[in-house]
Amino acid sequence: MTALFEARGLSRRFGRVQALDGADFDIAEGEVVALIGDNGAGKSTLVKALTGNLDLESGQILYEGREVHFATPHDASRLGIEVVHQDLALAPHLDSAQNMFLGREIMRPGILGRLGFMDTPQMRQRSAQAFTELGSAVRSVVVPVGAMSGGQKQSVAIARAVAWANKLLFLDEPTAALGVVQTRNVLDTIKRVRDRGISVVLISHSMPHVLEVSDRVQVLRLGRRVATYQTSGTTIEELVGAMTGALDNQEGAA
Amino acid sequence: MRSSTFRIAAAGIGSVMALAACSTGAPTADSSSSGAAGGSNNKTIAFVQGVAGDEFYITMKCGIEAKAKELGYTVTTQGPQKFDPTLQKPIVDSVTASKPAALLVAPTDVEAMQAPLEQAAAAGIKVVLVDTTVNDPSFAVSQISSDNIGGGKAAFEAIKKAKPNGGKVLVISVDPGISTTDARVKGFEDAAKADGTYQYLGVQYSHNDPATAANLVSAALQKDPDIVGIFATNLFAAEGSATGVRQAGAKDVTIVGFDAGPNQIKALKDGTVQALVAQQPAVIGSDGVEQANNALTGAPVEKKIQTGFTIITKDNLDAEGGQAAYKSTC
Amino acid sequence: MSSTTEHQKAGSGAPMETSASHENLVERVKAMQSVWILGVLVVIIAVFGVLAPTTFLTPGNITNIAQNVSIWAVLAVGMTFVIITSGIDLSIGSVLVVSSVVAAQVMERMGDQGWGTALVGLVLSVVVGIFWGCLNGFLVAKANVPPLIVTLGTLSVALGVAQILTGGLDVRSAPAVLQDNIGYGRLAGVPVITIVALVIVVLGGILLHKTRFGRYTYAIGSNETSARRVGINVDRKLVQIYGFTGLLAGIAGILSLAQYGTTTIAGQSLTNLNVIAAVVIGGTSIFGGQGSMFGSMVGLFIPAVLQSGFVIIGVSPYWQTVAVGSILITAVYVDQQRRSTASGGRR
Ligand SMILES: Nc1ncnc2c1ncn2[C@@H]1O[C@H](COP(=O)(O)OP(=O)(O)OP(=O)(O)O)[C@@H](O)[C@H]1O
Ligand SMILES: [Mg+2]
Repeated sequence: MTALFEARGLSRRFGRVQALDGADFDIAEGEVVALIGDNGAGKSTLVKALTGNLDLESGQILYEGREVHFATPHDASRLGIEVVHQDLALAPHLDSAQNMFLGREIMRPGILGRLGFMDTPQMRQRSAQAFTELGSAVRSVVVPVGAMSGGQKQSVAIARAVAWANKLLFLDEPTAALGVVQTRNVLDTIKRVRDRGISVVLISHSMPHVLEVSDRVQVLRLGRRVATYQTSGTTIEELVGAMTGALDNQEGAA
Repeated sequence: MRSSTFRIAAAGIGSVMALAACSTGAPTADSSSSGAAGGSNNKTIAFVQGVAGDEFYITMKCGIEAKAKELGYTVTTQGPQKFDPTLQKPIVDSVTASKPAALLVAPTDVEAMQAPLEQAAAAGIKVVLVDTTVNDPSFAVSQISSDNIGGGKAAFEAIKKAKPNGGKVLVISVDPGISTTDARVKGFEDAAKADGTYQYLGVQYSHNDPATAANLVSAALQKDPDIVGIFATNLFAAEGSATGVRQAGAKDVTIVGFDAGPNQIKALKDGTVQALVAQQPAVIGSDGVEQANNALTGAPVEKKIQTGFTIITKDNLDAEGGQAAYKSTC
Repeated sequence: MSSTTEHQKAGSGAPMETSASHENLVERVKAMQSVWILGVLVVIIAVFGVLAPTTFLTPGNITNIAQNVSIWAVLAVGMTFVIITSGIDLSIGSVLVVSSVVAAQVMERMGDQGWGTALVGLVLSVVVGIFWGCLNGFLVAKANVPPLIVTLGTLSVALGVAQILTGGLDVRSAPAVLQDNIGYGRLAGVPVITIVALVIVVLGGILLHKTRFGRYTYAIGSNETSARRVGINVDRKLVQIYGFTGLLAGIAGILSLAQYGTTTIAGQSLTNLNVIAAVVIGGTSIFGGQGSMFGSMVGLFIPAVLQSGFVIIGVSPYWQTVAVGSILITAVYVDQQRRSTASGGRR
């Protein structure tokens, strides 16, 4: 099976911290891969590097077998790759509909659209629909995101990424701030997105969630991939061992 | 939460309005009652300064208030924060709306203030131009200003008094094209050339920079070490000239400055300058009130008045010279 | 986007529905600073109306106030955009002066007093304004110099250029058609300069609130990183926004020539601060992401009405500065309060 998206030997240093140290990564079409690792292992840095949010010192990124170079996040978006960052990256003064469509505004038809006028009602309606379908706890799409709870903000960021991803979706700790019901919704959403044939990368510290939704698990430690497992054949103990380094030399074991 | 924010905000705004109310005090009551009466028994005079807080205009205001009290007028004084027509025009417009009987104003630009002041005159307000003027002052009942040519002459007289034996004299001015300083230079030049014992060396421009003035003066002293007197047409020119004299090691040079604000008086006391030519802003102000009163009562008005000067030296600082110094309060 | 809609109708989990409109209009309106600041303006007008009934609330005085804020209003349109991006532009007064100097010198040389000359002047003034604005924007966006420093620099450079071009002496000639028709002309009793300003303000408001350009302006000020991540070319937008502000300063330069008949080189000294104060009083946050054109206009009228009222009832000019400063601080204080409630903190 050829990988949809693959990275080889990515390296990046921040001052004295070698955040990525020859990290590898791969994911197949329609697959859910969990990316786990201790705090500071380099997971978020890897996601940024893979989505045009970070310059790399060395390494190679392949998309559908061809080498690609993402200078900006927009380059990745164009290929259908979306990210929910750990810091969410929403504009707090804009409401959720405005955030949802930021950079992809629906314009009014005809000459007005050419002049830069936006179709606000339509954007609101579509956002409301997306939130309802996600079962998110966002009550109204016209409330500024800055006035929302942490979980509501997270819902907005997820809804936005899910709405636009059509090849690959990165979720960096998407359930960190969510309540029980909303967490459930996110996990269900991940499955639904996968059912649409979209690949999902899930970063999470919750091993039960990882085991529930992923097909494979890749473990990151000190900036490099140290192990890959088929989810069906692994246990929480094994994963934790790989993360902490108690169990070593598992690379390529799967 | 919101309501407390509102309360504090309301308190803030309220206190500002209260401040306004207290500070108005008596004059408001006076001017509004007479304003309401309107017509011929309107006894208010508005004075719009060139810039608020400048001693020259404060002294003028003192002269205005004294004369107004004598003639039974109330005075309100306004002025922009800077000598800037874009700030002065809105003030003049509001003064026009408040319908005083007369307006004494020092226009901040000959062109920009033309139309607003014409508008005031058209509203039936007697406009008197004090100190400065506009391109076409025909709408004004009177113009009162210092005789700047006379001021240049007076500066020469001051040098003559200090150095009666004659010699070379030099002028340090600001920039060419400024009507007031140009007139002072001309007055000095005419007087110096008329007197055979003095040799006029011409005018140099300091661009309002003391360092430039210093360089000009020390260079001039290299060429003509026997210069006896320098007329500096403003404060920076005077300060720079004094530095230049010191740099050149010359001793016996008389520097005459212009105007008599606190900085100039200090320069005189410190010995930086030996004499000052003081304008008479209080006289300009009181003459202005007098002309406005004449216009209001139908008495004959003088279209143009030029006021004189006082020469201040260390010797008369305790007498008439000290009185001629500009004031920071009345 | 559309692909999500065809999936799952079940919407497992909470049966909550997300509404597409305002839940409570009153709440929303109350949260806008421009509303309470409008209240403040109304109170100020009422107070002066009572204190000086025969002189303050006259059509003549009201037209005067409107006329005197017109040039600042044009500048405030641009300043609102800039401050919403969390930037600042201190150079507008100088850019206005240098634009009007270039225009006045060329128009003087053309000699003609007609509309053709005036049009050439307008184009020149606008081009010069755009040049300085884009220079500001370029330095802010590409060279990463803070806007305060950049525009402090161009403030003095632009003024210096104006002084070099003129030798420091004002050009005191503007085509008669400009002064007669725009500067002091009236249409149905309303000053033409005010009508021109109003049109620009309305267009600016539409641009800010209804178009994608405006939306990106808010996004950049609200969270620059998020704007970049969704593919907004932030640098180019900043150059455009500062350039737009320069363009407006160029227009203001011609309006100033029309109104004053001179280039006011030594003037306009407090224009930048007055315009910034107005925009901030009107509820635009200096931290970016928030503000409205309507608020800026209300913010512009508060100091103008206060000054006019104070002059009419005869309050000393020193108190006027105290009053305007106090209102500025109060407005920012209230803005901070709103901010802390909006971000969920109870303080
Ligand atoms: N912009 C940055 N500047 C400096 N150091 C950074 C930066 N971003 C990441 N790092 C460092 O790189 C290392 C990896 O960070 P990263 O955020 O990728 O970890 P993570 O695996 O996502 O951890 P967590 O589970 O806590 O989110 C850390 O040591 C971090 O301090
Ligand atoms: Mg992380």
